[in-house]
Amino acid sequence: MKLVIGGYGQGKLQYVLRKYQLEETAVWDGVLPEEKEIQTKGVVVNHFHQWVRQSLLQGKSPEDMARAFVERHGDCIIICDEIGNGIVPVEAFEREYRERTGRILIQLAKEAEEVERVICGIGQKIK
Amino acid sequence: MMILVIGGSGSGKSDYAEELACSLAGEEHSTKYYLATMRIFDEEGRRKVERHRARRSGKGFLTMEQPVRIGDALSQMETGKKVVLVECISNLTANEMFAGPRIRTKEEVAESILKDMERLREKAAHMVVVSNQLCEDGMVYEKATMDYIDAVGKINRALAARADRVVEMVAGIPVLVKQEGGRG
Repeated sequence: MKLVIGGYGQGKLQYVLRKYQLEETAVWDGVLPEEKEIQTKGVVVNHFHQWVRQSLLQGKSPEDMARAFVERHGDCIIICDEIGNGIVPVEAFEREYRERTGRILIQLAKEAEEVERVICGIGQKIK
Repeated sequence: MMILVIGGSGSGKSDYAEELACSLAGEEHSTKYYLATMRIFDEEGRRKVERHRARRSGKGFLTMEQPVRIGDALSQMETGKKVVLVECISNLTANEMFAGPRIRTKEEVAESILKDMERLREKAAHMVVVSNQLCEDGMVYEKATMDYIDAVGKINRALAARADRVVEMVAGIPVLVKQEGGRG
């Protein structure tokens, strides 16, 4: 599994598609696809943070689901926005969302064979 | 040596800073001080402090609660070699700015915190400072909050200029931003 992190609008998806020569059809936007839905070579999960947010809103455990997904799809690429570098949100849910997204990323980064950070469309390999 | 550790929420910066402080102290048998700046207002704050305390337990830190005037912690420290971990600048800045009877200006706050940090740095064998990047959510807040972001930014810049090493935590991975005197 490869993890790609970076701020909003930094060109993460484009970077990934170009680097790994993948088609848009391999991209899942804000969802973790079911096995049977995947018909392409390579799986890219874009806007991973939005999936975390949705899972939390639905009272699910994104930690467990993400772990299981990565175990099943060892060759996937996960793209996530950096959302932790701001003012502490006033709302408790927003704080929880930020913190848990960060913790999940730490876990994914540990398991990843490669972690890249994209700034201004440029990938920086940090692991 | 002074090391500045920056990072977002849930980036693993506290764990990393503690490890750094331990390894710096381990080499020289210094006393490790943990200067905690968070004020507890509610259950969430209490849980956070508990989590940090549990993680630190067994690592041999002497914890000092210093939500404002961080330099005053010096008067309660023993003589001898010390490693000081400050956690964290963004909380300290918020306290210094908003906790008094009136809101203090960003210039005033940055100046007094930097002065305090310099006092600590002079006395400590090693210092590890934790801070946040607050400036990357692209939001525009009301003036008091923008002033606060400015103050933290100014303090971070000054500390980074002073620091021997600056590390940014990204998903638990330390990314080297600055290293004085070649590789560390």
